[in-house]
Amino acid sequence: MKRLSVYGLVVLAAVTLFYSCSAPLTNGEVDKKKTVALIVRMKHGDYWRTVKLGAEMAAKEYERNLNFYAPDYEEDAQRQLELVQQAIADGSETIVVAPSDEQVLRKAIKLTRERAIPILVLDTVGKDSAVKSYIGTDNYDMGMKAFEKMVFLIEKKGQIALLGTDRSKANAKQREQGVLDLLPREIEIELVANETVPSDKKQIGEWTRELFRKHPQLKGVIALDSSTAIGVAEEMESSGLGDKVKIVAIDSPPEVLEYLQEGIISATIIQKPLSMGYLGVKYAVEASNGEAVPSLVDTGTKVIDRENMFWSENQKLLFPFVK
Amino acid sequence: MKRLLAVIKVKGIQFIITTSFTLVTVLVMLFVGVMLYGKFAQTAEQNAYLHTQQILEQVKYNLDSYLNGMTQIFELVDDKIRRSKGLTAYKLSEQLETIVETRKDIVSIAVFTRDGTLLATTPSKVLRKNTRLTEQSWFQKAIEDPTNLNFSLPHIQNLFKGEYTWVVSMSREILLHGPDGEIPAVLLVDVNFKEIDDLCQRVGLGKKGYAYIIDLVGNIVYHPQQQLIYAGLKNENRSLPLKHSYGSYVEETPDETRLITIKTIDQLGWKIIGVSYMDEIVTTKKEISRFIFWLLIFVIVIVLLVLHYLSAKISRPIKLLEQSMEKVEQGDFSESEPIRGSHEVEQLSLRFHLMVAKVRELMHQIIREQEAKRKSELEVLQAQINPHFLYNTLNSVVRMVGNGKNEDVITTITSLSKLFRISLSRGKNIITVREELEHVRHYLIIQKMRYKQKFEYEIVVEDEDEVLNCLTLKLLLQPIVENAIYHGIEHLADPGRIRIFAALIDGKVLLQVSDDGLGMSPDVLAQVKAGFYKSEEGSGVGIQNVQERIRLTFGEQYGLEIESEQEEGTVVSVWIPRQVAEGRDRL
Repeated sequence: MKRLSVYGLVVLAAVTLFYSCSAPLTNGEVDKKKTVALIVRMKHGDYWRTVKLGAEMAAKEYERNLNFYAPDYEEDAQRQLELVQQAIADGSETIVVAPSDEQVLRKAIKLTRERAIPILVLDTVGKDSAVKSYIGTDNYDMGMKAFEKMVFLIEKKGQIALLGTDRSKANAKQREQGVLDLLPREIEIELVANETVPSDKKQIGEWTRELFRKHPQLKGVIALDSSTAIGVAEEMESSGLGDKVKIVAIDSPPEVLEYLQEGIISATIIQKPLSMGYLGVKYAVEASNGEAVPSLVDTGTKVIDRENMFWSENQKLLFPFVK
Repeated sequence: MKRLLAVIKVKGIQFIITTSFTLVTVLVMLFVGVMLYGKFAQTAEQNAYLHTQQILEQVKYNLDSYLNGMTQIFELVDDKIRRSKGLTAYKLSEQLETIVETRKDIVSIAVFTRDGTLLATTPSKVLRKNTRLTEQSWFQKAIEDPTNLNFSLPHIQNLFKGEYTWVVSMSREILLHGPDGEIPAVLLVDVNFKEIDDLCQRVGLGKKGYAYIIDLVGNIVYHPQQQLIYAGLKNENRSLPLKHSYGSYVEETPDETRLITIKTIDQLGWKIIGVSYMDEIVTTKKEISRFIFWLLIFVIVIVLLVLHYLSAKISRPIKLLEQSMEKVEQGDFSESEPIRGSHEVEQLSLRFHLMVAKVRELMHQIIREQEAKRKSELEVLQAQINPHFLYNTLNSVVRMVGNGKNEDVITTITSLSKLFRISLSRGKNIITVREELEHVRHYLIIQKMRYKQKFEYEIVVEDEDEVLNCLTLKLLLQPIVENAIYHGIEHLADPGRIRIFAALIDGKVLLQVSDDGLGMSPDVLAQVKAGFYKSEEGSGVGIQNVQERIRLTFGEQYGLEIESEQEEGTVVSVWIPRQVAEGRDRL
């Protein structure tokens, strides 16, 4: 009996030693995955969810943890800045941020520079050398594509309107510029309205009716953002003007796609948020490994219309989520 | 430093044991480690293969059973429609609704004519504009291949208002009972793709591995990175899986090595392809090798510690033995502790000690024998004293008789007889100081007679009771006195003085003979002290004899001290131990 207990103790000691020896080998590496923080503008909406989806793919591929931070509402710059600080406090290896405004970006750059954390910026173009990479859509090109599509749709002739909700945004400005720069080429196309529309849905309806009263000959509307496009399309559907006026939209929320199939919206220029999220994390990982990454990455755009919206290669772009 | 060097004696037994055992251990451990690593690595690799195979088999099984279930539902719907009197029959739509309600993943059931007109749908929803359904693959296949049930690739269902959903469409031509006979129509059952998507997403092959599905011609049914492939950010080489239905192979690209495993769902010809990353298997290998490496280190450290202890245990007694031998070599034969250690060493040390004891004993014996021999030699010399003296004395007596000095003759003869009685002393070498002094007194009396009052003498004793009863060697003082007479006084012009003094000093007995004779020059004194000086006269038993006898009998710390000044005289001190005579030794 005594002998047995002695043996037991010896075996126990040996096993303990053995495991204390091997323990750091087994569980050390699993938990030590480095973390990439992704801070976007809003928690909800297909656009940002798709960005997140792409980021998750890259995180899995490059074996990183992905921490996702997003304010509940868009334009909540104050909250977003808090989240950037939170992400740094959480010990992220790199920060990938889609800043709500210039100020958030400036502060984020300052914060990360203090701690020598690499920072990458999504969906915004800038020139600060502290940013490893600006990854996003060439909005100027989007504007050009929208205009070209419109020219094709109205057969190079007629009045068009350029509408957008928030012109203070750099992205919207660039899209507008893309349209305006191509406008002189088409002598038979007249831009009769270039206006800022209210963001409220009901107001958009009234506003659109007003627009058509003023310009009954209006052939096309280029919307600089999806909410404007949806508002205008809704009004056109209810007023039965769907066939007469072509709408070219931006982005692909479900409503835009619905109107696209219905024929109310003629085309939409889509971005590639999945690529944005994926490349954001991919280059974040490479930057943190000290590799050189391109300072400016254009994730590309695509013109979608009723013709090609259900092509198999576009289905995944337009409907990224299997529900 | 020295100790350290002593420890690392290259040829030391400890060093030899430690290094050889360590070498053996390391070699054995290395061998075992390499073998284990090989085995483990192989097993890990095999397990990875097997694991991948099993997972894919599971996926295949799940998909199979799911699709079978769907097929059954399709057949059920087909059956219900065939048996009913017409599509509008209330009972039919109720039954179909029940089916849709029980199976959450059925998005819609619809029947179209061959030109794409909607005849019936469950649940009833509004048909969208611009569906182009006749151009869609499920419709075309149903027309082209009326007998088989078709499964489409996952696509967005754009037929009915509501949410756009990813579906797999099952379609086949059916025959409807119309009023004017059988009408061919197309039955469509749309199944939500989410179930399959989830199933495939859950497949985990290691950390990064995944599974994807392609159809017969290589179109992607499911791929976790499908969007990236379409966006051109990723590429999946689908040419090989297209050719094979089963098996696995290793695909090597500059960046990575991947294990590709293929399974086929027979029903549809869809292929499930598992992609696992070899570097994860290699990671497992790395982990194993690291583990074995640390194990090796750990074992070697333990072995070294144990070996150090063991070799010390073995070599320490040997070192001790060596040290005790060294002591003996340097002439220290004293007894030392027996060494504890292994049986052999203990035996060795025991034997050695026995040997040393034997040697010690022999040495003592030799010393004893030598001493005895010397003593007997000395005694022989000493025995010559008296015959010589006797001859001289008797010559003197004859002269006295010739001169008619009877008084002197009587005194001389009396003293002579007493002297002899003492010097015989029943054959003993050791007598009391009293007897020795008595003896020397008679000697002095006789000499005084012979030398016609050429000197005076006195015998002074301090602590009489003590000193007189102490033991001494006999005939110590006679040769000294003889020297004092022959060398010190004989050649003096004036009569000399001889003083015999006995006392206890510092626990030793001092017997002193002083004269005021010629004394000795320092050279002679040195010679006498060294024992080289031989006088031509006297009995030939010199001071050296006395010295040696004292030393042999009482030890090195006793003996003679001679002080002498020319023209001043000589003092010879005899130091002997204070040994009080037993009663019977007293006279």
